[in-house]
Amino acid sequence: MPSENVVETDVLVIGGGIAGCYAAIKAREQGLDVTIVDKAYAGKSGASISASVGWMAFNPEWDLDYDACMNAFNKEGEYINNREWGKVILNESWTTYRDLISWGCEVPSVPLEFIKRLPPFPNASLQFRAQTPVLRKQAGKVGVRIMDRIMVTDLLKHEGKVMGAIGFPMESFDLYIFKAKATVLCGGGNSFKPAGFPISMQTGDAEAMAYRAGAEITGKEFLSTHPTKALYPAALFAFKLSQGGAYSYYFTDATNQKHVSFIGGGETGTRGEPDLSMEFLIHDGKGPLCFDPNISPPEHVAAIFSTVKKQFDSKKITHGGKTPVAGGAAAGYQNAGTAGIWIIDTNGTTTLPGLYAAGDCGGTRYNGAFNSTPGLGTGPASVTGRRAGGGAAEYALQSKKPVTDNNVLEELKKIVYGPAERKGGFSPRWATQLLQNTMIPYFISYIKHGDRLQAALTYVEFLKDQIVPKLKAGDTHELRLAHETRNMTLNAEMILRASLLRTESRGTHFRQDYPRRNDPSWLAWTKVREEQGRMIVSKEPIPREWWPDLSKPYEERYPSAFPGE
Amino acid sequence: MSIERIDSELCTGCGICVNSCPMDVIRIDRESKKAVIKYPEDCMCCDYCELDCPVDAIYVSPEKYAPLMVSWC
Repeated sequence: MPSENVVETDVLVIGGGIAGCYAAIKAREQGLDVTIVDKAYAGKSGASISASVGWMAFNPEWDLDYDACMNAFNKEGEYINNREWGKVILNESWTTYRDLISWGCEVPSVPLEFIKRLPPFPNASLQFRAQTPVLRKQAGKVGVRIMDRIMVTDLLKHEGKVMGAIGFPMESFDLYIFKAKATVLCGGGNSFKPAGFPISMQTGDAEAMAYRAGAEITGKEFLSTHPTKALYPAALFAFKLSQGGAYSYYFTDATNQKHVSFIGGGETGTRGEPDLSMEFLIHDGKGPLCFDPNISPPEHVAAIFSTVKKQFDSKKITHGGKTPVAGGAAAGYQNAGTAGIWIIDTNGTTTLPGLYAAGDCGGTRYNGAFNSTPGLGTGPASVTGRRAGGGAAEYALQSKKPVTDNNVLEELKKIVYGPAERKGGFSPRWATQLLQNTMIPYFISYIKHGDRLQAALTYVEFLKDQIVPKLKAGDTHELRLAHETRNMTLNAEMILRASLLRTESRGTHFRQDYPRRNDPSWLAWTKVREEQGRMIVSKEPIPREWWPDLSKPYEERYPSAFPGE
Repeated sequence: MSIERIDSELCTGCGICVNSCPMDVIRIDRESKKAVIKYPEDCMCCDYCELDCPVDAIYVSPEKYAPLMVSWC
């Protein structure tokens, strides 16, 4: 018989990356009992550990233009960014960055002009893989309980309130029941275990468990568009080098014409995601596209090399110069601060009492249809984490001892261990492969059309209804894979339904059948939620005072045109 | 393919690589008390185990092969 471990805590933080550690430290400051649980090792898991480009930290003492940053949020986010959160992030990112340094994180000493390299946002430089281990250490130092290698599968609810979560460890078939007054989801975003971008552990677990508990999920139609190198597409350094430059993608098409995507600063804006230009060229038959370091600024190439040199030496490979590019390095991944669990205020509060969310799974929407600049995943994760930790602590201080319903617990136990107890069924790896084949092609997730989205949805619904309930697991590792597949499949459905609902094009969401932005009809966010077992979509208009000036011509409101406009 | 080798002569069984792997590919073998590649098919080639190994016992190849597509599995 597997043993049952009950952990009682005031604030449970699920996920131990940047947001999770800041949330836990903040909640602990209020004198509460705080627990971080991570399916891998807190401080070394999630997207946080790979963050290296920078950390947006707005120091008011530097000569920076606050209004220009706010305008960049609006312009790059194509107006569907949450301006309240934009302000919070600009106002508080310097405090969280200073905390990071005071806790012992070594950062390269860089001149101010380097920090201002991606105007108007300041972009403090980081050392590759330096920050989250420091955050873990600090969390431990202030007395946060850290529980590693336990995968949380579902939230516990009682009388409409979230009262903790349930999960299993990697090394045994034991069960973990976390009873908490408040729960903060910091479990990262979703991906379909793509090649190149080191995010295969991000399987939309947080959004999936929040959705199943009754929370609303927003912004799923906006997807990350990073490419990788066609040679060794899976390797992290291949993705790094695919940029051809530190902050931009410089590449040529089959006719040797030069292009650049992923603009960092300068006249054309400050995008933190590549635009869809690669996908459009490929669709036009202009492939292969090739990364070309010869057309990149030499200092950008040098900056990239410094982060991957050790790996290059280990593999005894040299920089290949001009090499073909493959798409979908971050397939299924969401923009930070665009998609996630719907947040109703600036304290990480969700629509479910007792549930808070931050980081990539928090639907704070400080970025809109585009991520506004590199560094807007890391720095804001610290701010949203700190805010959600504070919100959760305040709620926990006013809450009574958490209660769990035995019947609910028994039902959830069956779900947790279902794949391990099943006598026969399907392999999670095979089901994941089916999902990847459906969702990763450019003509589904990037160049979208209602007909194709509907076809993919029919397929994904079959996976959800017929394959996922029959997934089997021979050991706890496969049990993790089974739950990840269940979560990714649910996220795929959210992506397809949100993409079908948004009958326009905006940011990284492009519909061939609706190739223009539709103002004011789509100055709105998409939301999905569960109602009697069905996924319901809805539209939430942005506040009218955030609308762009509709008397201005369309081309002025949206300087970058989609093909077919 | 992907994670290729953990040199058992060099491995001290410190377990750092187990924690460095976000994909649960590496485990400590109960008998030998050394790190072993348990689930290579789930390696995402991030190289973090190789970078973190204090005795340079790990090699991750940049090659990764996808399984063949079959009708059911």
